[in-house]
Amino acid sequence: MNKKMGFLGFGILFGFALSRVGASEFDLIVGMFTGEDYTLVGVIGIAVIVGVVGMQILKRSTRPVKNGEPLKISEKKLGPWSLLGAGLFGIGWGISGACPGTVLAQLGEGKIYGFFTFIGMIFGTYLYARLKEKHPSL
Amino acid sequence: MITAILQRIFVDPWPFWAGGIIIGLLVPLLYYYFNTALGVSTGYGNLVKIFLPARHLQWINTKFKETWSWRVYFIGGIILGGFISSVLSGNLGFTSEMGRFTAIIGWPPLASAIYFFIGGVLLGLGARIAGGCTSGHSIHGISNLHISSILATIMFVIGGIISANLIRITLMGGAW
Repeated sequence: MNKKMGFLGFGILFGFALSRVGASEFDLIVGMFTGEDYTLVGVIGIAVIVGVVGMQILKRSTRPVKNGEPLKISEKKLGPWSLLGAGLFGIGWGISGACPGTVLAQLGEGKIYGFFTFIGMIFGTYLYARLKEKHPSL
Repeated sequence: MITAILQRIFVDPWPFWAGGIIIGLLVPLLYYYFNTALGVSTGYGNLVKIFLPARHLQWINTKFKETWSWRVYFIGGIILGGFISSVLSGNLGFTSEMGRFTAIIGWPPLASAIYFFIGGVLLGLGARIAGGCTSGHSIHGISNLHISSILATIMFVIGGIISANLIRITLMGGAW
């Protein structure tokens, strides 16, 4: 399978699933943080359980990667500022009622304010690139 | 019978567990087919390179050598998935509705746009400093039992609880 076309296909599946469970709804994301709606806690919880089991099966299989390469799991190392960044991310999550994946589903659904979250995200990433020029430890 | 099943998949909202299973399966599937970690937010770096004059910035230059990488296709796919979902459920069309934000706060369009833009900036900047987002850290990282991702997710949730509740109390007239 061509990697780009494969990711296009898996992206469609991802966006469709996010949209169908309501992960692209402002109220569901904010409700998860205010304790008013735990639907998305259930979605993430089930996803993690399926992910853990799936990865354990994959790690134990004789051919974990289709083309025979050894499995290369990328582990995200925490830098000195990472947890602070994660806190900023969380604040943005609670404000916008979206995350980098669900905002894309919002765009597809035609949610106009999701577009502003989206361009904000591009700008925030640009800001990071600018900051990293002067502060390589970020 | 078949119509009822198709209705369940393509027209009705899904129960939470169905979405959880599909999203969770992406982690091993992407490793099996492409030996690649699930992740969305890094692809916004590709979008910076496409939309903003940032090629002189070293991080953009070194990390995003291929401008139109698979990450851009993944992002495009997610947008398309949301689009197909709203076409099939009959909700297609532009809407300025944003749940309780528009129903209760009801700010004028410009103020609302700035509000969501600021949320987006925090998401974009925060995800890069944290090294990942909900998919990269919370779904992919925890699926691989990475302590760094568990810690990052705890901070995501703490941040979300603080901002969502502050907004509920200050702007939506909620109780403490």
